[in-house]
Amino acid sequence: MRFGLFLGCNIPLRRPDLEYALRYIYPKLGVELVDLEGASCCPTWGTMPSVDLAGWCAVSARNMCIAEEKGVDILTVCGSCYGSLSETRHKMLHNPEIRDEVNRMLGKIGREWKGTSQVRHGVWVLYKDIGLDKIKESIKYRLDGLTIAVQPGCHFLWPSEVYVDKEKNPFRPRVLIELCEAIGAEAPDFSTITDCCGTGGLRSTNLEKSLKLFERKIKSIKEEIDPDLVVTSCSSCLLQYDGSVKILKEKGRINFEIPTLHFVQLLAICLGANPDQVAGLAVTGPEEVIKKIRGEV
Amino acid sequence: MTKIGVYICHCGENIAGAVDIEEVKKYAETLSNVAVVRDNLFMCSDPGQELIKQDIKDGLVDRVVVAACTPRTHEPIFRAACEEAGLNKYLFEMVNIRDQDSWAHWHDKNGATEKAKKLIKSGVAKAALLEPLEESYVEVKQAAMVIGGGVAGMFAALDLADMGYKVYLVEKDPSIGGNMAKLDKTFPTNDCSACILTPIMVQVATNPNIELMTYSEVESVDGSIGNFKVKVRKKQTYVDWSKCTGCGDCVKVCPSRVPDEFNEGLGERKAIYIQFPQAAPKKAVLDVGACKECGGRKLGTPPEINEKTGNPKLAPCEKVCKTGACDRSIEWNPEGEIVEVEVGTILVATGYKVMEKKNFKEYCPESPNVITAMQFERLISATGPTEGELVKLSELPKLKKKKKKDVKLEKPKTIAFISCVGSRDVRYHTYCSKICCMYMLKEARILKEKYPDLDIYIFFIDVRTPGKDFEEYYTYCKELGIKVITGRVSGIERVPEGERLRVRAYDVDLQSPVELISDMVVLATAVEPSDGLKELARRLGINVGAEGFLKELHTKLYPVETSVAGIYICGCAQGPRDIPESVAQAKAAAAAAAVPLAQGKVKVEPLISEVDIEKCSGCGICAPLCPYAAISMEETGGKYRAKINVALCKGCGVCTAACPVKAIKLHGFTTEQIEAQIEALGGE
Amino acid sequence: MDDDLPTPVILTELEKGVIEEIKEHGGENIDRCIQCGKCAGTCPVALAGFPWFNKRLIHALGLGIREEILDVPSPWACVSCNKCTEICPRDVKPFEVIFALRRVLVEELAIPTLTMEGLRTLYEYGHAVYQTTYPETRKKVGLPEKPPTTLAYPEALKELRALLRETKLDEVGLIPME
Repeated sequence: MRFGLFLGCNIPLRRPDLEYALRYIYPKLGVELVDLEGASCCPTWGTMPSVDLAGWCAVSARNMCIAEEKGVDILTVCGSCYGSLSETRHKMLHNPEIRDEVNRMLGKIGREWKGTSQVRHGVWVLYKDIGLDKIKESIKYRLDGLTIAVQPGCHFLWPSEVYVDKEKNPFRPRVLIELCEAIGAEAPDFSTITDCCGTGGLRSTNLEKSLKLFERKIKSIKEEIDPDLVVTSCSSCLLQYDGSVKILKEKGRINFEIPTLHFVQLLAICLGANPDQVAGLAVTGPEEVIKKIRGEV
Repeated sequence: MTKIGVYICHCGENIAGAVDIEEVKKYAETLSNVAVVRDNLFMCSDPGQELIKQDIKDGLVDRVVVAACTPRTHEPIFRAACEEAGLNKYLFEMVNIRDQDSWAHWHDKNGATEKAKKLIKSGVAKAALLEPLEESYVEVKQAAMVIGGGVAGMFAALDLADMGYKVYLVEKDPSIGGNMAKLDKTFPTNDCSACILTPIMVQVATNPNIELMTYSEVESVDGSIGNFKVKVRKKQTYVDWSKCTGCGDCVKVCPSRVPDEFNEGLGERKAIYIQFPQAAPKKAVLDVGACKECGGRKLGTPPEINEKTGNPKLAPCEKVCKTGACDRSIEWNPEGEIVEVEVGTILVATGYKVMEKKNFKEYCPESPNVITAMQFERLISATGPTEGELVKLSELPKLKKKKKKDVKLEKPKTIAFISCVGSRDVRYHTYCSKICCMYMLKEARILKEKYPDLDIYIFFIDVRTPGKDFEEYYTYCKELGIKVITGRVSGIERVPEGERLRVRAYDVDLQSPVELISDMVVLATAVEPSDGLKELARRLGINVGAEGFLKELHTKLYPVETSVAGIYICGCAQGPRDIPESVAQAKAAAAAAAVPLAQGKVKVEPLISEVDIEKCSGCGICAPLCPYAAISMEETGGKYRAKINVALCKGCGVCTAACPVKAIKLHGFTTEQIEAQIEALGGE
Repeated sequence: MDDDLPTPVILTELEKGVIEEIKEHGGENIDRCIQCGKCAGTCPVALAGFPWFNKRLIHALGLGIREEILDVPSPWACVSCNKCTEICPRDVKPFEVIFALRRVLVEELAIPTLTMEGLRTLYEYGHAVYQTTYPETRKKVGLPEKPPTTLAYPEALKELRALLRETKLDEVGLIPME
């Protein structure tokens, strides 16, 4: 199995520990990751999508062309990238006018979008292509005794029609829960599981409103299941949880701290990676939980 | 030599605006066999018709051609005029120079005029070859069939029976009553549904003219109006209904339990069951799929004998049956019995069902405290799973374990109702299900009047309460303190303690997102046609619309007729509606269905095909081609010849065209007539 | 309800052609909306307390309100979660309508500073999110200083810029694009 690793912006520039974790886990599980040299921003929502529909699809398509040239599908673990690339691909597949306009623009830089590369989410690749059994056999450390709150993130779930892989019932997401359970943790369902974390455009427009939304979510998580760790499948949610828990604690609006890891980082730890490399940039320190997992307590 | 009269209509401006009537008149006068040419502003008016009648009476014409609008609406008028004047009505030919000429070629006056000339020439050529024809009549069987024993079907059956006709009422469930029997109360009077329905059911069951065929379905329909031959399958009950008294002893001792359809899956019934306490007929039915065959007691076999006592080892149900109706030794035919019935007209009143909650993933259908409105009706019904006690559905499993009296079940304190679940939704049904706004208000009102401390919220998109006394019902509900919120519910989440539900919506009037924690959520799911309606319609030859409901002949003017003469529709089978509307439509359908019965005979138009036995070679090509199954091969004088059933033939002409020796003549459209028309159109 | 609209709103004096403008910019299904409110109850923008969330914007645009909402922050708070698209019973795709409005606002040059920043860094570096500290953070976890994106491949960045010059970004003239 080979996939083209699509990094986006946040992962390589703000949380390269997550990038390290990505490059660590997939080869260990039998998946080769090739670089998509020269890829750019997906483009994210506040940029080209807000300017021009065809322009958005064109920048997205350029990224997809790099993968098409290498004959691989795209793998990403950022919700925004997954969403932006999947939506543009869906539009171009179903709309000949948009596709033609995009290829006209791409023609000017000597490229053509054919639609042969799919857009896959790294967590789905773990669940579907690699499979729970393979993961169970490969890990060094299990998570028995740990309670996890899962954050699939909005772009993992909606709009369900544009994604290659779909949850059976997006209102009751199961994939991330089953992955955590497969490595020994308890990952109970909770009432606000599909609520948005409040990052993205909302956070950049008004930080206070974003924190208010997030506060409600983190409080319901603490009240309903009191987890040791929050595990997410989106790097944007990762940044929101990691940063905002710290801010809310400092402002005295919550009196607890729950660390957050991307599932890829968690899996890297379980496979035996060096915690400093795969989770060293977290702000709300996961050191305690990681020590517990590695049996160092 | 025939004397053809050509009458050209101006049709006000409709024809004269594009066609030069004077020029066409002059042209018509030059055609052979034409004796008289006249025109009029409105040929169909009294003076116009007088022109025709006078010419016939004066002996000037013996064939009539009217060049005017469409025969679809006006042919009968002119034919009647000819007949009144003493001319055989089939010596009349209508030429359409409006829809097919002036309207189509409005901007090409020359072209329209030339075309009118050609069309009239063609009409005249055919008229010269017309033959007088006589209508025949077919006796109408003095009986009707009503398919569906709900409130609409019952009222239709009663009206027809009271008029003196025999009515076969076919119902697929073991009892009549339909959905109305499941309701607790009915709006806007809040009458107890069973109280007003059961007298009707009794009337139906005891009316000497009504033959009840319950637990039966229509298998096939042949024939046409006046003479429908219907095969009805009486499904196997495995209980001898001639002996069964409906005492219910067998039900008490049966150990098998399956979800109860009458209670919309909320409670359980036994394998042998009586549909509901007020069932009519009140007879037991065995659900073979649920039967546990107690003690290995197989159906259709004699019982083993107990060696010690010498008594037969019977199943519990057989043992307690005092009349021997429940007898498992009988070799019951699992296919049931096919009964053939002949009727003059048929009414379809098969009613509706509601969508199940499982379709709506964002509304937490996996929670037992989220239910459909029909389930709610069963919950608060005195004959329901809790005998009408309002409890949280998540408490129901406790009922199974202990006797009901010992168990205290938690009551809900907050209830939310959600409208338009599956209706007004392009993903399911675009239509509005019409009855939900009113029934949600009704259900809320019943609860609020009984339990004033209950917090009730109803989420509407729009409040639709247009019927008689409906608006007043709505405002009364608001005064009771039922909270009405305009704004659809976006989603429901399960809150762990107490199986409660968080309902999230947007309150349009408050202009704010809102949410509440509720103990119970009732979904007003969309009304759909009953199962199997599409197949039944196919067997009857009538149409269903895009949404699956039966199609009426004309949306505005013929709401109870269908495209097949003799078959009528009423009630929710045609579309969502409430009880007063269903009853009104049922009575209308009964009246319409009675017309052919009262007339006693049905006219058969002579414009049908006829086989010339001398020419027919018996090849049999025509028989399978007939779309109406009107042709059969019959032996005459030792040879097989095609025979056409005049009651079934619709005069489509397929057999006429297919016959290799031209032995079939389609009256009114003979080969010679058509060829003459073609020649007239083709020449210069 | 808030200061953006005059009281009363005189409906006959609102703008014409707003629906067509939204449709042209990608919000084709805006006129399918029956204002049922299902999208609003679940929208993070509405739940966070912004005044111009999906349902309200669709209704306002349908009436012809345009001038008054050119500068409001709400449309830029959309997180593109698409929950609205998922549950809408009329296939309105409210997300597409909001973004169509954003494209109109961009033409009117009525955009927040952060958005302009993002577009500028996209053109300059190929990344909307850019931090100058990235080489150190990457070295710290043991990765090469430059990620294999436009940052490490100047030819690719040139190609991206040429592509961006083909898009509407060039016409709008928001950022320097030589």
